[in-house]
Amino acid sequence: MNLPNYEFLSAPLQLVTGLHLLTLSLHFLAMNLLLGGVIIVLLAGLRKRWDDPTLVKFTKVFPVAMAATVTLGIAPLLFLQLVYHRQVYAAAIVSGWFWLLVPAAVLVAYYALYRAAGQGEKTGKLSVPALLVAVVGLLYVSLVYSSVFAMAERPKLIHDLYAQDQSGWVWNPASSSYLLRWLHTILGALAVGGYWIGAIGKDSPAAFQTGKRFFVTGVVLAAVTGSAYLMTVPGLMHTRAIGVLGIGILLTLGSLHLYFKKKFCVAGVLIFGSIMAMLYARHTARLLRLADYYRPDSMHSAPQWGPFVMFLICFVVVLGVVGYMVRLLIAKRA
Amino acid sequence: MIYPFWDVSTGYGILMAVIAVVHVFISHFAIGGGLYLVVTEQKARQNNDGPMLAFLQKLAKFFVLATLVAGVLTGVGIWFIIGLLNPLATEALIHNYVWGWATEWTFFVCEIAAALIYYYGWTQLTARAHLIVGWIYFIFAWLSLVVINGILTFMLTPGKWLATGDFWDGFFNPTYWPALVMRTGVCVMLAGLYALLVASRQAAGDFKMRIVRYSATWGLFGLVVTTVAQSWYLRAIPELTTKLLPGPMHALRSAAWLAIAIGGLLMLGWVLARRLPVVVAVLLMVVGLAWFGSFESFRESVRKPYVITGYMYGNGVEVAKTDRYKKEGYLAQITYRTGDDGADLFRHVCRSCHTLDGYRPLKPSFDGTDPKFIAAIVRSTQLLTTNMPPFLGTAAEADQIAGYIYRRVDQRPFDQIYSATDLGRQAFTVRCGKCHQPGTPSDKSKSFTGQSATDLNSLLDNLPELAEGMPAYTGNATERAALVGYLQSLGKAVK
Repeated sequence: MNLPNYEFLSAPLQLVTGLHLLTLSLHFLAMNLLLGGVIIVLLAGLRKRWDDPTLVKFTKVFPVAMAATVTLGIAPLLFLQLVYHRQVYAAAIVSGWFWLLVPAAVLVAYYALYRAAGQGEKTGKLSVPALLVAVVGLLYVSLVYSSVFAMAERPKLIHDLYAQDQSGWVWNPASSSYLLRWLHTILGALAVGGYWIGAIGKDSPAAFQTGKRFFVTGVVLAAVTGSAYLMTVPGLMHTRAIGVLGIGILLTLGSLHLYFKKKFCVAGVLIFGSIMAMLYARHTARLLRLADYYRPDSMHSAPQWGPFVMFLICFVVVLGVVGYMVRLLIAKRA
Repeated sequence: MIYPFWDVSTGYGILMAVIAVVHVFISHFAIGGGLYLVVTEQKARQNNDGPMLAFLQKLAKFFVLATLVAGVLTGVGIWFIIGLLNPLATEALIHNYVWGWATEWTFFVCEIAAALIYYYGWTQLTARAHLIVGWIYFIFAWLSLVVINGILTFMLTPGKWLATGDFWDGFFNPTYWPALVMRTGVCVMLAGLYALLVASRQAAGDFKMRIVRYSATWGLFGLVVTTVAQSWYLRAIPELTTKLLPGPMHALRSAAWLAIAIGGLLMLGWVLARRLPVVVAVLLMVVGLAWFGSFESFRESVRKPYVITGYMYGNGVEVAKTDRYKKEGYLAQITYRTGDDGADLFRHVCRSCHTLDGYRPLKPSFDGTDPKFIAAIVRSTQLLTTNMPPFLGTAAEADQIAGYIYRRVDQRPFDQIYSATDLGRQAFTVRCGKCHQPGTPSDKSKSFTGQSATDLNSLLDNLPELAEGMPAYTGNATERAALVGYLQSLGKAVK
């Protein structure tokens, strides 16, 4: 029967990869601010490090950060599924229940953050239990993502696990393949969270100092775990990802330097650049791991330029409209 | 069949329905509620209506919590669940419509940003700026419906796309416009329903009466638009009458009754406006949710046996690969094998829609039967009255599925499972009723009138010769006698 074929790529692979990396970097930036920020504020609250009003100020921003994290997470997942559908769906099915609990965990964490923000506004006190629930929810999500996406890079493991159990209650047993990676994500989030705490709380010396401590320590530890993880990827050292990673490290060091000088905006831009560099290395690692099973460039390309232009125009229009709305808000505040 | 199969005891239909119905119930409110808020705010600001603005601020908080959190995450949940339940259909949709989804995402980004600025800007923005943000919110929220509606309706009526494969042919398909109008009506109706829920918590009095009647009007207007557009939508589905089997008909009837109930409750709300009890508003929400569930159930069931009409069956079998399946069988196409071929075949061919003893159970259909009968039914699925996909595998694969099912059903003969008084009816239901349900076009009761037991026994001896796909009768003598008696009673009942 002569029906349309769906096994094609509706844009050149480089374009899809570029969009994936760009949107994933935006998602990571928002996620790092959120996860790192919540953990730092929670720890500060538990140890009574700052006065509550400063901490409460941060909790008001968390629901917005959560909205940004979720919204910015949709596009990279879409582009990932466009190219690596066979691997991602297969791994997700093997861990089906854990995967399906991700939106539920985000839902709970999201409401907990609203609760923390509401409680803070009403009582002026930090709601430690609500933040704790939110942190647990977010850590669960990050762990499942690390586990499933690491599994997705190992098709043979998926085959073996599925042959043994089809219930969807299979947790990736190859912990060495994702624990370092997960730890790197969490430490990176703490580093970026530290930057954010310092930037938002720049008027509070305690907040700035705490932010600085987390930023510096987070960067060092994330670099150690990240390097250890990348060394487990065979052949990575001979790719250009190493050069890009080097640029990323320089950008990170630059952002630290600017943070110390309290030039937060430029520091933030450098952090975004370093996230992009690290995600590029991460992308290269995926290609290397899958090389024996799947090459994305082997997929037939049949670009849909008309719909793509529609997307591009809408993207630009939306950026303009969002900018306009933010300007309305800032203008009034000013 | 290139993906593993998530073998959950909960039926796929239930999992999908729970997440999807909750999501559409919130996401349509997210659009209609946005319109309600900005239109009402504009009016209230023009009239300097303080109590109304205070009410809207309260509604906006509820709106943000419901739509930004539950609405967004159930939407993400749909993404997660469709990838688990039907990865191949999801893959096909993503490959064809990635730029549609990406475009919807841009609208979504704007919608979320606007919702947050609208909510947090109540006290910080000027009235004019706040209204501008409110309108931006509604426009982009509705635009996201404009896009997703194209992909949803494509699944039911792909139209010219089946021949051209062109993005726009599939997007602007035969049910696109009626579905867009209908869903817009639903958005308005739900805005009224949700607003009534918040209004019902107001203290009894004149203001409550005003706000309840105003919201009920929104609900009624939305209901009228929905109802009119729904009949347009139904007419736009090609060959609808041939698809109206008991499942979709039941869903459609339920939706019609529930729409009447919504209308009735809205009018009751109008009458009781001054002191509308919370219970009535909650009941309206429950009935509204049930209505949406019935409509979505209709949409899903009328599409059967396909997940993408004319393109891919509900079990992920591609129509284009029919010849390959027939030639090579299913097993050759299954990438992830477990070592138990019967189980693998059962999962990929049947489990998308059926469980053994839970959702759409097979056990009651095959208790007391035998592998030969089960295999015959498996080979003839497209003949059953339930609009099932055809079985495209080999005869040996049908036997393997039958063997797998047989090992899990009650293997005692019929007369040991069912009471003597009910034996004939049960035997008919299992052996004949899958195709010849009384009261349906394939009802054969009339042909039994005046037939003797000998005639009917002879009929049972020659079933495979009567029509292609008819399974041979394989029951024992006791069951046969009871079945013959029941067939005679059906013949006598015909006037």
